[in-house]
Amino acid sequence: MESAEVEVRLLFFAKSRELVGRKEDTIKLPIHLLPAGLWEGILAKHPCLQPISDNITIALNQEYIAREETEPIVLKEGDEIAIIPPLSGG
Amino acid sequence: MDAHTSSTCDMDELVELRRNLEEKSLEVDRLRQKLKLYEEHDKRHKAMLDCELINDNNLHTIPHLSVISKLENSSIARHSRQLILPEIGVKGQISIANTSVLIVGAGGLGCPSAIYLAAAGIGRLGIVDYDEVELSNLHRQVLHTEDRIGIEKSASVTTAIKGLNSSVVCIPYHMSLNSSNAIQVIQQYDIVLDCTDNVATRYLLNDACVLTGKPLVSGSALRFEGQVTVYNTQDGPCYRCLFPIPPPPETVTNCSDGGVLGVVPGIIGCIQALETLKIASGIGASYCQKLLVFDGIDGTFRTIKLRSKKKNCVVCSENPTITQLIDYEQFCGSKATDKSKTVKLLSNENRISVENYANIVKEKHYHVLVDVRTPCEMDICQLPNTINIPITEVGKNNDNMHKLKTAIDKLTDQVQTVPVYVVCRLGNDSQSAVQILQEMLSDLPVTIKDIRGGLVQWAKKIDPEFPQY
Repeated sequence: MESAEVEVRLLFFAKSRELVGRKEDTIKLPIHLLPAGLWEGILAKHPCLQPISDNITIALNQEYIAREETEPIVLKEGDEIAIIPPLSGG
Repeated sequence: MDAHTSSTCDMDELVELRRNLEEKSLEVDRLRQKLKLYEEHDKRHKAMLDCELINDNNLHTIPHLSVISKLENSSIARHSRQLILPEIGVKGQISIANTSVLIVGAGGLGCPSAIYLAAAGIGRLGIVDYDEVELSNLHRQVLHTEDRIGIEKSASVTTAIKGLNSSVVCIPYHMSLNSSNAIQVIQQYDIVLDCTDNVATRYLLNDACVLTGKPLVSGSALRFEGQVTVYNTQDGPCYRCLFPIPPPPETVTNCSDGGVLGVVPGIIGCIQALETLKIASGIGASYCQKLLVFDGIDGTFRTIKLRSKKKNCVVCSENPTITQLIDYEQFCGSKATDKSKTVKLLSNENRISVENYANIVKEKHYHVLVDVRTPCEMDICQLPNTINIPITEVGKNNDNMHKLKTAIDKLTDQVQTVPVYVVCRLGNDSQSAVQILQEMLSDLPVTIKDIRGGLVQWAKKIDPEFPQY
């Protein structure tokens, strides 16, 4: 069944910012989706993130999303999804 | 020779002798002064190194921290402003003084965290770093000084700490932590600070802290960004719960390639010190199971609530598969340093030395020079008559590539094959660029080579006046 879509904000940090070439974007995603689907949707729009796909923190409204989680998540218009690869410099 | 002449001669000689003597005594003064200066310098250096450096051979000899149960008057006076904070108080201050903290990395994060922990009266501070102080460290590694360039970083930080608070037991480790020594070192401390600059050591410290049950206060910084999380405490996750798989090495940017504004690790290191003091005094850490994301350009601090422990984490779960340290350089596919590595993508016939390129310029041979560094780096220094195509733009359809093709076209009237040379800072990106360009320009009459060792070698071997960064 097709789920209705909402527009959410994407925030890019560290390496993801470098790969995408910007700090922010918006993306239309289904209201109901699995965490894995959320990441797939983001990757489809920004395939340049593929190399760091296994090494990032994804946060929905400043809360960690576990990609292996099988509980669907519910998105609202204007939600904030942060893509945060770890930094290693010091 | 008559008497008259002889006496004139004597007069002349006398004047000459006087002048000579005056000159010599001035010279002696100068030498004395110089000697004094050198002796002072030598004394200062000896005083700096008046601490036993710990390495793999004397790991067991580190000084003991004697436990205190009451504060001395000097400590009360020194710490009065923090003693009157009810959250710290006498009890908290005694706990701080009885705590041993290990700081791994005496750089941009390690310097600020070390000095604030020492100022707050931490009992014992171990400082681990295998490196020596360089001029390019000083903009962010603010405990080192100009006259300590070349000295071990761990010794340099120890000197700075002794100057601020001589009651701190400070132990400099001039060595790298690895899987054979990390447990032995970490066991002797209560809290570990990850102030390192590379992925392999981050996984090493995580596993070693899980295996020894120590909290790990982790900080990192690059460009204008910083992150803080406290791992392995208060039932929170460990680094591997969040990042089970290390990043592909080519996706990791270090400070020497990506740049960093010194105050950014300064801010992050200060937060690491604050978290450490809260753990030491019993308040508890704030960034356990939380990730602080600092963006210095926007001036924003975001706090991300992290996951709890991963049930099947390979190291911190109830059924771990990693029960002793592994080879972390192999696991991460990268070395435990942030030094830029040298890659070799091209065979020798596709490369030329800086000496040969200098000759080509000198003899005015027709050629095209492409520099693949960023425009920001081009502003720092560049060779004459360069076409700039940043490495991220090489091979794409853009103005710069167009410029290159036009330059090649122009020379095809003069020479049968147009030599194109590609340069960058170190000679790594230039090789990738040659590979892309060779494929892309295969229909043009060109030979494309990279200049081995890049502008760093140019500065070393051809033009000592050329800036190095």
